[in-house]
Formats: sequence, structure tokens, C-alpha cells
Amino acid sequence: MNANTSRPEAAFVLLLMQSTFWIAAGISAFPFAIAGEVFMAILGAASLLLASFGCLLAIGLVRRWRRSRRWAIALEAVCLGGSILLLAVPVGSNHGLVSLLVNVALPLAVIWLLRGRKMRALFAR
Amino acid sequence: MFDISADHAIGLYAGFLALPIALIALWLRPARRTVPGTAQAAAVLMAVSGAIHLGLVSTHLEEPITSALFLMNGVAYVALSQAFTWRWWRLASSALLTSTILGYLLYIALGFDTPDQVALATKLIELVALGLVLVPVRGESRPRDRAWYWAALAAGLPLLTIVSGATIWGIDLATPDARHVHAGAILQATNDVATPEQTAAASRLFSETRAAMLPFDDWHQAWAAGYRPGGPTNMPTSHWMNEAYVKAGYVMDPRRPQGLVYANTRRGPVLLGAMFQMPRLNEFGPDPGGPLTAWHQHENICFTPFGFEFSLMTPFATCPLGAIDLSAPPMLHVWIVDNPGGPFAVDIDPSAVAAVRARA
Repeated sequence: MNANTSRPEAAFVLLLMQSTFWIAAGISAFPFAIAGEVFMAILGAASLLLASFGCLLAIGLVRRWRRSRRWAIALEAVCLGGSILLLAVPVGSNHGLVSLLVNVALPLAVIWLLRGRKMRALFAR
Repeated sequence: MFDISADHAIGLYAGFLALPIALIALWLRPARRTVPGTAQAAAVLMAVSGAIHLGLVSTHLEEPITSALFLMNGVAYVALSQAFTWRWWRLASSALLTSTILGYLLYIALGFDTPDQVALATKLIELVALGLVLVPVRGESRPRDRAWYWAALAAGLPLLTIVSGATIWGIDLATPDARHVHAGAILQATNDVATPEQTAAASRLFSETRAAMLPFDDWHQAWAAGYRPGGPTNMPTSHWMNEAYVKAGYVMDPRRPQGLVYANTRRGPVLLGAMFQMPRLNEFGPDPGGPLTAWHQHENICFTPFGFEFSLMTPFATCPLGAIDLSAPPMLHVWIVDNPGGPFAVDIDPSAVAAVRARA
């Protein structure tokens, strides 16, 4: 893996997509907030903040910021853990193809792209 | 939107089959070392998308235009997935991906198809492939590695994704199928028209339930019986649940419904109806009235314990931060006030609630 590897750029694209999904989730909360569910406004705003954080991490990955790599791996690990927990607990959560792609495959792919000693060395510069 | 159409399933199999083949084909080509990994990944994703499109040709032969479009799209994707060393590959690939995504949105907007999981997954694959095709890679000495290009990519890709999601969601909500009466609720399968016996049974169930509900006109009685309101009380209606009855798993017992529905009025809660709920997911209850008393199950709702509130899961299978996606076991409402949709409708009509609130 040389210094010109495109793994950070691939992770950038995936994080950008994931942030977009969080934006969609955040926006989707607001009609319910308008209808009277006040907590949904807070959750919607929190989702948009998370999306902003995701975008920031994506930019950091392209710029090879060390902290971005660490935070991105940590964030994806949390997302992946939560998704696997939801898949395991019988609460009737969606186990569809899109859910598996977005909530399992995507975080897994980002972790895979950023993992390893060589990537750590790449981001150390 | 959250199901897989029978005629689209073959596309899914074709996509899964194509993935290892595309990876092996890429590995066998030494020329892959001359392009960045992002381009290689995009080529594999386009091969998968191409295989999905080609797989769908056989199940759409009765629609010549659709099958021809699938064929052309699939062939173009597969051809471009192998042409990643071509000088104009990025331009051609991004044009094909963008036009395919926008074309699909137009196609469903015109009512030629309905979105399902295979279509949604394919669009996600194409969006990611588009991002990988367009993203500049460090070390590439090309004019596209400029600030304006990055800005266009970082704004354009999310915009296309949001437009795609909003269009698919809007169309799905606007055109529910026969078993999806409203967003997130799936109806129990029944016969189409109620028989005289079923009509009589439904009428009996309504009478018994209404008689048993009379004491709960006074919400204090409901409170004493163990019912507690859930969700915000500033909404027009609230569901009051009796956790003991939920746990006990009484099945359609008119004297012990798992929930009550009240209108929130200036003079306090006014009873609108009762709600029976089954103990487990996907187990619909007895259906004495056939289509008149069909149960429904709420699926893909985003629930948050904060304030006991909910919203709907997006087409991208995401919920707002702090909410989790879950389903509620099958339920049957019995409305004891005049409801335009009938006494067993999935929802109470807002006009019926407004009338009750106005009277109060």
C-alpha cells in the first residue's frame, strides 16, 4: 500500500453517503415535530449534527488527518455494533437488503478501508 | 418499498452471482494496477448493477420497452466495468450512472414500476459507484483535483441521493398497495368481500366492545384499570396502554383490550375506541369479520423512548439519532365514535377527532 492509495478517498465517498442518509433521517423527523412530537425536533437536529460530523470526518480522511481516521473507525464501530444488536434483538427491526447495505456493509467497508498498520502510517504524516 | 417484488428477485440473484465473477475478472487483468482502487471498486459495482439489470430482462419480457432498457443498461454497465483504462471512462461512467438513476426516478414517477428493495439497493450501489468514479485520488496529476471539483462532488452526490430518496419515498407514500393502507402499516390478508356471517360477526364484536368500553368514558376508570397514556398529550389523540393486558396476551377480549384511544380535549381525554393487540410480531389475530376486521401491523417505524414518540424509517433504512427501527405486533382498533372509515378502520379520521374535540 503506497502513499497514493485511494483507500481514504473511497472511505470519503462512503462517509459522505452515510452522512447523507443521516441528513435524510434528520429531515424526516421534522414533519413529526411540526405535528406535535417535540422530541423529534431534538432528534432531527441531533441527526443533522451527526451528519455534519460525518462530513467533517470525510474531509479529514482526504486530508489524511490522523484524528479523522481514529474517529471514523470509532464511529463506524459504534454504528456497526448498534446495527448488529438491532438485528439480533427480536423487536421487528428491518432486516431488508437496503438496511443490511447501509447499516452493516457500509460501516464494515469503512472500517476495512481504514484499518491496518499501513493506513495508520499513512495518516501519521 | 421494504419488500422484494417477485419479478425483481432474479435481479438480486444475478447481482450476487456477478460480484465474485467481477472480482475475479478484475484480478485477472494486469491493467488494473494502472488505475486507482476507487476506479476498480466502481468497475466492480457497475458490473454488479449491470448484472442486476440483465437479470431483470427475463421477468419483464411482457414489457418490451422496459426489458429493452434493462438490456441496454446492463450491457452498457458490463462493458464500462471492463473499460476502466479507457481515457473517457470516468466521463462515460458518470454519465451512464447519473442518467440511469434519474431515468429510474422518472420511470417510477410515471407509474411504470414501484420501488422495492432490489431497486433501492441497486440505486445505492450506483450512487456509491458514481462517487467512486468522480472522487479525485491523491497523486493523480489531473485538473479535476481542484477545490471547485471537490465542492461539486461533495454537494452533488448528497443532493442526488436526497432527491432519489425523497422521490422514491414520496411515490411509495402516494401509491400504497392493497395491503399497505397507510405508511408503515400492513394489513392482514383476507377475502375481498365480507360474507353475511362475517358482517354479523363484526357487528357482534363492535357491540360487545362498545358495551365493555362504557365505563372508560370516564378516563379515571381507565386509569384505575391500569391504562396509562403514551406519547405526547398535545397531539389530537393518545393511545393508553394496559401493560398487564399486553403481557397477559388476551386475544380480542372485549372486556380487556390492550389499549384505549382517547381524544385530547380541553376538558380532558374523551374515549374514541379500543385497541386489541397480539402478543407477538407477525401473528395476526382472529378475524371474525373477514375484510371488515382485518388486523394491521406497523412496520419500519422509528421509535424513541424520549417522550414515547415515533417517526417513519427513511428509504435508506435510517432513523433519527436516538430512535430505533421496530415493528409493533398486529393490532385491531374498534372505534366507538362515528368514523368515516368504519368502526374497524386502521386509523380514525381526523374529522371524527375534530368533531369530538369541538363537542368537548
